[in-house]
Amino acid sequence: MTTYVGNRVARVDSVDKVTGRAVYGVDVALPGMLHGAVVRSPYPHARIVSIDTSAAERAPGVVAVATGKDFPHLFGAAIKDQPFLAIDRVRYVGDPVVAVAATSEREAQYARDLVRVEYEELPAITDMQMALDDDAPLVHPDLHTYERGGHEIVPHTNINTLYHFERGDVDAAFAEADHVFEAEYSAHALSHVTLEVHVAVAQYDTYSGDYTLWVTTDRPYFLRDDLAGGLGVDGSKIRLKVAQVGGSFGAKGVPIAEAIAVMLARKTSGRPVKVELTREECLIASQLRVPAIMKLKTGVTNEGFMIARSADVLWDSGAYTAYTVGVAIRGSQTIVGPYRIPNVKIRSRQVYTNKAITGSYRGYGTTQVTWACESQMDEIANELGIDPVVFRLQNGYEEGDPYLNGQIMHGVGLRETIETARDEIGWGSVERKPAPHLRRGKGLATMIKPTLTPSSSNVVINLGQDGRVQVVCAAPEVGSGQDTVLAQMAADAVGVPIDVVSVPATDTALTPYNGPVASSRTTYHMGNAIVAAGAEIREKVLGLAADFFGTDADYLEMYDGEIRDENGELLITLKDLLARHQSEGYALTAGGRYSSTGSPLLKANPGEEWISSIFWMLCTQAAEIEVDTETGVIRVIKVAASADVGKAINPMTCEQQVEGGVVMGLSNGLFEDFKIDNGRIENASLVDYKVATIEDMPEIVPILVESVHNEAPFGAKGIGEPAAAATPPAIANALFDAVGIRIRDLPITPEKVLAALAEKAATEPGD
Amino acid sequence: MTFRIDTTINGDRTVIDVDPTLTLLEVLREQLLLSGTKEGCGVGECGTCVVLCDGEPIASCLVLAGDAAGCSIETIEGLADSGELSDVQRAFVRTGALQCGFCTPAMVLTATALLREDAAPDAEEVKKALGGILCRCGAYPKILEAVLEVSGEGA
Repeated sequence: MTTYVGNRVARVDSVDKVTGRAVYGVDVALPGMLHGAVVRSPYPHARIVSIDTSAAERAPGVVAVATGKDFPHLFGAAIKDQPFLAIDRVRYVGDPVVAVAATSEREAQYARDLVRVEYEELPAITDMQMALDDDAPLVHPDLHTYERGGHEIVPHTNINTLYHFERGDVDAAFAEADHVFEAEYSAHALSHVTLEVHVAVAQYDTYSGDYTLWVTTDRPYFLRDDLAGGLGVDGSKIRLKVAQVGGSFGAKGVPIAEAIAVMLARKTSGRPVKVELTREECLIASQLRVPAIMKLKTGVTNEGFMIARSADVLWDSGAYTAYTVGVAIRGSQTIVGPYRIPNVKIRSRQVYTNKAITGSYRGYGTTQVTWACESQMDEIANELGIDPVVFRLQNGYEEGDPYLNGQIMHGVGLRETIETARDEIGWGSVERKPAPHLRRGKGLATMIKPTLTPSSSNVVINLGQDGRVQVVCAAPEVGSGQDTVLAQMAADAVGVPIDVVSVPATDTALTPYNGPVASSRTTYHMGNAIVAAGAEIREKVLGLAADFFGTDADYLEMYDGEIRDENGELLITLKDLLARHQSEGYALTAGGRYSSTGSPLLKANPGEEWISSIFWMLCTQAAEIEVDTETGVIRVIKVAASADVGKAINPMTCEQQVEGGVVMGLSNGLFEDFKIDNGRIENASLVDYKVATIEDMPEIVPILVESVHNEAPFGAKGIGEPAAAATPPAIANALFDAVGIRIRDLPITPEKVLAALAEKAATEPGD
Repeated sequence: MTFRIDTTINGDRTVIDVDPTLTLLEVLREQLLLSGTKEGCGVGECGTCVVLCDGEPIASCLVLAGDAAGCSIETIEGLADSGELSDVQRAFVRTGALQCGFCTPAMVLTATALLREDAAPDAEEVKKALGGILCRCGAYPKILEAVLEVSGEGA
């Protein structure tokens, strides 16, 4: 029985947020706090000839100046290739070179402008194809010497990731196929545009050598390890306190402001240092979505069954790898889509370029490959004269199908997401021409995504003498409503009213290890840990009650803070029970842990278990659009977005994720477009890099499909990422339906629409 | 160098000495410690710093503090200072019209200003009024729902 799980519980953070009381990273202010500013490279690739900081050091208010040579360590998730500040060489426009701390922000900025750096420009790699040339200059000539994990690189080239996957016999299957389709698709760089900029406050304890940071991050323990790497200290020397996070979407994981802040803090005698990037700095020098060029070839039978697919994917990590290696490997796998294709061959390569750093972005590679996969699905169906919905359904995964690595898939609600999205959009009926220059169409796209596997979550649940329950865990609220969802699960697991439950802010000195708040993994993983700890607390409470009433705990139950016997008769409230121990003082505590390691669900072909996912995310979207054939402007009228969430712990917060994902996907697909010239981003402002506003919002109908997942807490999977991936291809497929043009490179701009319409008119004068 | 301005902030007469080069946003956040007003870009592009000036939504990052002399400024802190949430705030909570919450003060204030002018705006009018404030979480559908809910109550 659940009291809170499954209900539209108001968000526990909502009163703080509507009253402006929520304290974000930008609001942190400490006594004696200094402010930092950063000198950045104006060149995409250059040798640092000399750095003169003497004038800056003499400037008013300046307390500390740091250069790369002060911290000659490298950090990185998969390849340790990045210093906090450039050492000898800068690799992109915006690469940090010198940092200055002063008593005010203005003094810091004034001093920054007095730093003199002499550069010798080097030939730059400004696009990813160029990086593959035999005589291409190397962005990292020392790549082969860097410390790294187990993945493959190609030494003495710009290729920092090489991955192959093969199953079956693709060449034979292509020969056998009745139809073979081949095309190239591309996905562009995107900024997360978290409305809160990157910010951090750091303080160094000159006696213990410990660092304390006030940050806004989605992955405190990963960030801590990256910071430790760059500082050359043990992770235990760093404590992170996480403030409210003003948006992440994957942005707030790697050291950006944090790196600058710790270095400057280390160079002061214990004064806290705040580093707050400008919006322009966030756009050019935080991290972007990894751009990708995807060649996709698919073999199909006359009956519309896919029998072979090969993919050749090229990814652009930018100047350093950060979290991109996982994107290039995990992301490339899902280019096969949620489809049974017996013969598969994937080659994925990622290259360094002298461009902005890229990394994790809501979907971790899925948004890029979904664009290619779902565009081609539509092309194949249209070419063969099969309904695109039918084509997907007849090839789509069902419960119990084996994944690419042989994992038997569990909790697969794909069919239901496709059917509900199809029905909601009114598939098959469309008002073609509302006006001579306006044309309408409908399109559909789906997607699949694994979650980070294996990974673990840990929690400590405290029940105090006052009856209050604390859920102590390192899962920062990044906006997704997860504090609420965790509180709901804790309230039901323990058996108390939700208003006595709190989820304290993450502090790595207090909150036990958790994997990242990423990969849509928190509800599932932390939820399982909470269910375990909550059950233990409840058991202890019932034991206490059983002692008191002289009965057996097995006959007792607790819901909503009320302890009842087997007939449902109220015996005592939790508050009264605890009050009986008032004089001695009382507290109960329980730890919960969940790790997907060793789960029987992950069983797969030998050597390929690492490809398994503890749960699979599936989301289908159907869009109706109207295109103005005179201007090329697309107006999205409606999106039906159907997501398989396993179980909606809170339907309201699930809808928030689905609706927000559609808004982001629409913005990514139609508006957001960096103008990059010779490696330099030329439109680093929110006027020139357009993000969707409420006026661009179509009618959005979120649909929550609840497939059953047996290992999930209350059956719940994850929802944060998948909702953003299917929107751009759904729109592109609707555009094809409306006017018969196919855009294969994102974004779908009016210019591209007009060019494609003109090309079509030239080749098909009758239309 | 500072100069004195005489203004009203959330209903209270406030006389303060300000650096004439500071924006209203900087003075609100750093001098008056009203940190509910957020900065998302500092150059008038994102709308998160909206406050009400004589009832009108303005981007406080584009206004020098000195220009607030003689004005009545309302910030998010002023809406529920009696301890009771306003109708708009309650509707935001009820419908779930917020996610990370960074744009929420600006959205709530702008919606409040709109509803004072027009008790029953329609969806298009609400969208137009809120069109200058970015919400990257994409809470727009529920923000619209929240404002229309209050609009319905007012009608």
